Amino acid sequence: VQPPEKPLQAEEWNKLREDFKLPEIFEEVMLNNMIRCNSPINVAKSLLTHVAKRNGDIAYSVLVKYLTLCVHQGQVSEIRDVYDIMKVRFKILESGAYNLLIRGLSNSDQWRMALTLLEEAKKIMVPSRTCYESCIKAASCRQEMKLAFELYHDMLAKDVVPTLDVLQSFFNFSRGMKGAELQKQLFGILLYLRENQIYPHKTFMRSIKLWFESIPGGNWRGNLTKIKDSGQCPVCKHQLEESNLSEEEYSNLSERIIRDVIHGTDTFRKTSPKEFEAFQTFVENRLPFDIVIDGLNVSHIKSRKMQCENLSDAVNCLAKENARLLVLGRKHMLMNSSNWKREVMKEMQNKADFFFAENISEDDAFLLYATLRSGKHCRFVTRDFLRDHKACLPDSVTRHLFRKWQRGHQIVFSSVFSQQPAFRYDCVVQTTGDTWHIPYKDVFEEKYSYQVPRKWLCIQQK
Amino acid sequence: MQCANMLLRKIVRSSVLPFAAQHGMKKDLFLLSRTLSLSLCLKQDNACEPSEKLDLDEWKKVMKSGLQEEVSETVSEPKELSSLAAARETLEMWRLAGRAVPENMSEEQLKTFMECPSKSAKKKYLKYLHLKELHKKSHRRKMDEKRERRLEAQDQASDTNETKKSSFVYLSSRTMDKVYHWRAAQSMIFGQPLVFDMSYEKEMSVREVTNTVKQIALSESFNRKTVDPFHIHFCNFKEDSLYHKEFTKQYREAWDKLLITVTDQCYTEIFPKDKLIYLTADSPKVMKKFDHDKIYIVGSMVDKSIKTGVSLARAKRLGLETAALPLDKYLLWSTGAKNLTLDQMMHILLTLKDTADWKKALEFVPKRKYCGFVNKPVKELKKRLDLINTLKLGRGREGVEKQFAKNHSKKYTLK
Repeated sequence: VQPPEKPLQAEEWNKLREDFKLPEIFEEVMLNNMIRCNSPINVAKSLLTHVAKRNGDIAYSVLVKYLTLCVHQGQVSEIRDVYDIMKVRFKILESGAYNLLIRGLSNSDQWRMALTLLEEAKKIMVPSRTCYESCIKAASCRQEMKLAFELYHDMLAKDVVPTLDVLQSFFNFSRGMKGAELQKQLFGILLYLRENQIYPHKTFMRSIKLWFESIPGGNWRGNLTKIKDSGQCPVCKHQLEESNLSEEEYSNLSERIIRDVIHGTDTFRKTSPKEFEAFQTFVENRLPFDIVIDGLNVSHIKSRKMQCENLSDAVNCLAKENARLLVLGRKHMLMNSSNWKREVMKEMQNKADFFFAENISEDDAFLLYATLRSGKHCRFVTRDFLRDHKACLPDSVTRHLFRKWQRGHQIVFSSVFSQQPAFRYDCVVQTTGDTWHIPYKDVFEEKYSYQVPRKWLCIQQK
Repeated sequence: MQCANMLLRKIVRSSVLPFAAQHGMKKDLFLLSRTLSLSLCLKQDNACEPSEKLDLDEWKKVMKSGLQEEVSETVSEPKELSSLAAARETLEMWRLAGRAVPENMSEEQLKTFMECPSKSAKKKYLKYLHLKELHKKSHRRKMDEKRERRLEAQDQASDTNETKKSSFVYLSSRTMDKVYHWRAAQSMIFGQPLVFDMSYEKEMSVREVTNTVKQIALSESFNRKTVDPFHIHFCNFKEDSLYHKEFTKQYREAWDKLLITVTDQCYTEIFPKDKLIYLTADSPKVMKKFDHDKIYIVGSMVDKSIKTGVSLARAKRLGLETAALPLDKYLLWSTGAKNLTLDQMMHILLTLKDTADWKKALEFVPKRKYCGFVNKPVKELKKRLDLINTLKLGRGREGVEKQFAKNHSKKYTLK
């Protein structure tokens, strides 16, 4: 139904209601349509008046819908009126109404009221991140940075993840402001980006750049750049952090891989204890390897070629540099078949070590183990993104470690046997005190979780 | 009187009215008859907006005025609520706001709700309860309608007052039950064993266990009613486990009278190992025919979250032979996971046992999961599919092949 353009009389509403096929939900449907068409508020008021006169009461859901309309149109006095009515009529409100009220009031000069509402909402639930977002934005755009940061820390303490918008607003509104405390807080946000491996988008990056350059007496200068494969920043000639994990992180990660990915709830799900033991002794006797290859994955690179041919191409390509290779496969590869020729397999086994797992075992888990066990220099070859193995890791810290390690150690063969090298430098927000390097992505760039941005913001202090 | 009225009208028409219109005086001031003011309104309808005499904020007054008495009552209540009561209040508000929330919730359900780890888990749980409540309500309504109809029919029957006479032997449901029990008892002596492995409790949530027990109860009842039932074994069954609790809830007193074997022993302790075959969808081996000398094991597990390889791992650990149903060989699979419910498994196994006809047995696979039966060799079918696709859709050969390979090759392809 199309909402009317002008406020209607009671009789007219009655007529419309009777024509509607489900009169019980007429008001709700009508208000929904008003919200969609952004109808004038007086029309909605006339409907409410009609309902109030007929029933002597207005249902909560109808009031919330009216509130939505008021919030969309920024009718602050109406929002307050609705709040007063709700407060008297109902003992407590629910999260939807609080969300709306906070959003509506935070944009007005009554924004302090939104803060009190936030406190009220905390009593019955954990406020949503949009609630926090509105309040933080309201506070920071009035230059009440201290209050805004209090809210921000409160949010983090409750495990509510802030939106990029909130983080950006901190930089936008502290532009040109002085104060060591403020600077520390904003650096804290940058470190938050680093710890959670979040990449800001282009407009956010610009806000960061402008803030740095606006610090009074700071003498910061920002440049957009791309980092060389060697890991050197072309602007400030600074060497970026290496992608290698620290000793502790490394041992932590390999422990977790063995515990959660290979064993999991039941060792028999991916392999068997006997097979895993055999593999362990096999690896320990031949350590360390330089490159570990997922044989089956590599053998599928070119669909026109025989699978063993693909594999032998890869092995030949990698064996050139006198590297110690380990190829992981399954037992069925040893059976002479149209795809796996015995002679070719024999020849390959002179160039590399081979381990054949049971046909129903998962060779990926072995790949991870062998690579981690060989040490930091060892890399591995597969086109697999290893997402399912990452998912086996229970906490986000270890998953981030896994991604970081994967970026630094995975070699990907595209179909023409050109290797895509593993990253030598770590792709996160980083600082040395007088420089900051911040990777960013374009606004509309689609980025998969395994990809990292190639563009950087380099900020240095002169 | 009439004269006076006339006079009044005259005055109004001639002088006062234009004056009033000019200065926006309220019409209430006039001591005019109703007809007059209406005619005035009609005359001026085009000029003034209807909203002018519509008090838009009247609803606020109504809302506030109707509340005075109520408020005085509620204020006296103590403000601090216990967390349970507060949760109940919040739920009530959510219900008023039109969310999927059940009307009535028991204390226990409320506690489960509060123990949900996340917002979305809470929402899901509420929705589940809400739907359950709706189903219950509609069921009750249907039962009521049925009862009324029955009463009506009885009334009519008593009117005609005819006694039923029939030459057929009447089989009451009690007689049928006796027959079924006799057969089940026979199967317990001579029947082929079928094992339900009850060792997956740790892998499942409470709801999944409930579903499992429901599926097993369905299977059991179907088994009882066939001509040649299996001898059902519940192995690895622990007393006072969640399974046990759910079974007693499902069967009540009948649980102790069921003609099946329930044991806490493992199947490997009861039967020779070389006769056991573990049925699991993850098995690399495909079942060719139903073997009457073997003992098939079905894992009593419902996995709503994906847990691949759990039952295969169990079979591997015990060194048992495994098998999967030849779904790809006989069906053109379209969507859905290849693990079937326990009652579907039972239907399929019973049909195989009786007829050895795969096509008939696989009729019990849900229709939404496959497009049809494979009636020709796979290679020929592939060719035809290919041709149709290239002709009709102009789709590339490779795409079709890939799709087909995904469904039909049992080789070790990459994930």
